Amino acid sequence: MLQHWLLGSLALQNIGRRKARASLLIAAVAISSAIVFTGVVMMRSIETSMAVGFSRLGADLMVVPQNALTNITAALLTAEPTGEVLDADLLDQAHITGIGRAAPQRVFRTEQSEFGGQGESVDLIGYDPGNDFTIQPWINERLGRPMQPGDVILGAARDVPLGSEIALFGKPFRVYAKLGRTGAGTHERGIFMPSAELLALVPAIREQTRKTPPMLEPRKVSGFLIELTPGATELQVRFALLSHLSGTKVVAGGSLLTGIRQGVTALLGGAISLVSMMFASTALMVSVLFSAIVTERRSELGLLKAIGAKRSQIVGMVLIEAIVATGGGGLCGVVFGMLLLRLFERSLVYYLTEIGVPFLWLDRMDTVLVAAACILGAGLIGAIGALTPAWRASRHDPYDLIRGEG
Amino acid sequence: MLSCRGLRKTYQTDRGPVDAVRGADLDVAARHYVAVIGRSGSGKSSLMAMIGGLSQPSAGSILIDGADIWSLNDNAMAQFRNRRIGYIFQFASLLPTLRAIDNVALPALLDRHSGTADTYNRAAQLLTEVGLGSHFDAYPSEMSAGEQRRTVIARALINDPILLLADEPTSDLDVETESEIMALLLNVNHERGTTLILVTHNLALASEAEQVVQIADGAIVP
Repeated sequence: MLQHWLLGSLALQNIGRRKARASLLIAAVAISSAIVFTGVVMMRSIETSMAVGFSRLGADLMVVPQNALTNITAALLTAEPTGEVLDADLLDQAHITGIGRAAPQRVFRTEQSEFGGQGESVDLIGYDPGNDFTIQPWINERLGRPMQPGDVILGAARDVPLGSEIALFGKPFRVYAKLGRTGAGTHERGIFMPSAELLALVPAIREQTRKTPPMLEPRKVSGFLIELTPGATELQVRFALLSHLSGTKVVAGGSLLTGIRQGVTALLGGAISLVSMMFASTALMVSVLFSAIVTERRSELGLLKAIGAKRSQIVGMVLIEAIVATGGGGLCGVVFGMLLLRLFERSLVYYLTEIGVPFLWLDRMDTVLVAAACILGAGLIGAIGALTPAWRASRHDPYDLIRGEG
Repeated sequence: MLSCRGLRKTYQTDRGPVDAVRGADLDVAARHYVAVIGRSGSGKSSLMAMIGGLSQPSAGSILIDGADIWSLNDNAMAQFRNRRIGYIFQFASLLPTLRAIDNVALPALLDRHSGTADTYNRAAQLLTEVGLGSHFDAYPSEMSAGEQRRTVIARALINDPILLLADEPTSDLDVETESEIMALLLNVNHERGTTLILVTHNLALASEAEQVVQIADGAIVP
């Protein structure tokens, strides 16, 4: 313990001897660490946003009209708000095996609901409470009573308190619950209510728009979200649906998700390669710097050996110096990276949230772990970079080092 | 106490190998004061470095107190240097970031064979003995050349070595300071019984030695 304190003390004193050089080293490592920390947190946040946003949706497949436009994000969550519709009893008629639950949805996008201000686009989503598995599981907060007629559920982006009364096409509704953040736009901005409630709103809608939207016809829906029975494969059911149902399109959420994940994985792979290269180049830089530092101090190292310092102590002292300097750089980098993340939060993430694409930050514990990994990684870079010069110097005879030949 | 046989030191240079020490045989009795004299470049420092465990001989053996020091492994050699040898270089050899008392205590702290408090008490005592009782907290840059050399002597004695090697310890000092330092070293030899091998160009100092070793062109003159 005493030796460690002594060597640590010597190492710290050595860092303080060349403040400008130490500062530059710390700054270089800090920049690298900040990039790595910010990059990893951002990438992990993106990955988490996607994973959370998609994996909790519950639907394996979605059946929509052939000509319906499918937005990938929305397709994984709800039927896309288009004018294309399907018959409400389409799946019942087809008798397709492998379907566990089928949740019909009606998605009506309107700018005339008078909710949220004049002309604001609102997605009114009608769902079947008995078969729903994509909306109710997402409820984040609710009133302390069962849902009643006249209640609606709001997406997380809707900044309306629970229990508030809102008006849709002049009809009052009570905000019963709010969904958690999902990262999917339609889900975030939607107003959800049982299909029966949405259909009951049709007269008011017709009065306002002078027409009945096709998906609000009693026997029509925008699409079906399907959960497969255990053992049924997505491919089997997909083929069965396509062969039995004409004029439909089957969107496989899993494959879409897989594709997106593969894309993100490739991006992460690229980021990891970049981080690895940065790690290697920083280690190389530290190695070159510590070669110079060791050369500059060979006389002192020789002196230490001459008065009885062991090789391990010589190596340890140089390593402690390197680890403290680069670990300090890593710490500064993490602090700098946090400031960068705040900047992202107030710019890019704020913008994404504003346009309805919420961004889910990596949770605090994981962020702390990434920060710790960055600081430890920076220290490790120092250790790796300084190890060779320190080890080589320790091999020399004290007299050679003192004479400047180490 | 010290027995060297067939000591040889060859340095590899761009112009080919250079023999600094060529087949030196030397015996030194315990508690003796030995003066090593010779012209510059004759091989005195190389011989001292090999005896002090600082430079591996190209050939030959060195026994100190019966131990063949160059057959020891790295750690054992480090411990031997630490506990048995006190080395005083011909230049100021203090660590610039440490106070005088820390520099003196350093060898004992490295080996940790005594407690920190005991080590610092002993360092303070040694500094007082060499006349630096009021310089415990001084950094090397705040001390004169003579004070630095006194500090080095105190450091060399911290682990109570059996052999004190001084390689021209006063080469860069004025005459008065040289006298003080030499008096100090001889006092260590007389009072503590520490074997002293001193490299010097001062023949008057050499004349006081119990044994004078003259080196010329890398060989000990019989």
